[in-house]
Amino acid sequence: MSDKLVAAQVRHYPPGDLAVWILIMAELLVFALFFAAYGFTRMGHVALFNQYQATLDRTAAVANTLALITASYFVVRAVAAIREGNSRHSARWLWAGVGMGVLFLFIKGGEYAEHLSHGINLSTNTFYMFYLSLTFFHFMHVIVGVIVLVILAVKVGQGRYSAAEHADVESGASYWHMVDLVWLILFPLVYVMH
Amino acid sequence: MDSQTRAWLRPCTWTWLVMVCLTLVTWLLGVSGAQGLWVALLVLGFALLKGQLVGDWFMGLHGVSGFWRWVVSLWLLLVGSLVSIAFVISSGVLN
Repeated sequence: MSDKLVAAQVRHYPPGDLAVWILIMAELLVFALFFAAYGFTRMGHVALFNQYQATLDRTAAVANTLALITASYFVVRAVAAIREGNSRHSARWLWAGVGMGVLFLFIKGGEYAEHLSHGINLSTNTFYMFYLSLTFFHFMHVIVGVIVLVILAVKVGQGRYSAAEHADVESGASYWHMVDLVWLILFPLVYVMH
Repeated sequence: MDSQTRAWLRPCTWTWLVMVCLTLVTWLLGVSGAQGLWVALLVLGFALLKGQLVGDWFMGLHGVSGFWRWVVSLWLLLVGSLVSIAFVISSGVLN
């Protein structure tokens, strides 16, 4: 590959709007604090955390992980399509991503319904306080991400973006990948590591 | 599809496949009852690797220079360090 081509491919800023990346950084820092708080609080309650972690549905959690990483891959395909000016394909990939996001919400919602039916809430114990707070905070981000993807899918389908002008699509995609990234840490930390 | 798009999509497809495999291994470790500090750190390592792949390929940071190239890596380093320290201390291996 020639030096000129390499130079042309190296950018100084990430894809999408810089403001969205500043928001992503802020969100990631908040989640980092949550993860650290979980880890350091667990130090004083190892037996309790291990006991109640075993009550969680790991199969639902792995299904949700697969749903989110697949949604992220679909969003990557949507960005690739719009970069080539193919709005129809891009919209189709975005709707597929929305489908995976809704699947996540459906599975996670089922888990919450199960917990509620057993009388489990934030004050049940320290483990559940962290588990419910962390996962629900992330759940809210998935809802926002799905709404963003729906808006983008509609606008892309209407032909409002092109190969030259699609920063909104890249910004929305970056936000969605952040939601995926956070879950990739949350899943092993809360459901598996003991 | 032009060659530049293809050159980006191919590693993204591999990234997705690797992440699916690592996720299934993590799940198997969880349901098999495997436990202990090294299992926990191995699972955390898988998660950090998946996070780096998302940052590099899905978020497209592999082609960015300067601070933004490392923003996800630095976050993963921060989270990985804090969680590792907490699990190492709570395991009692330092006693």
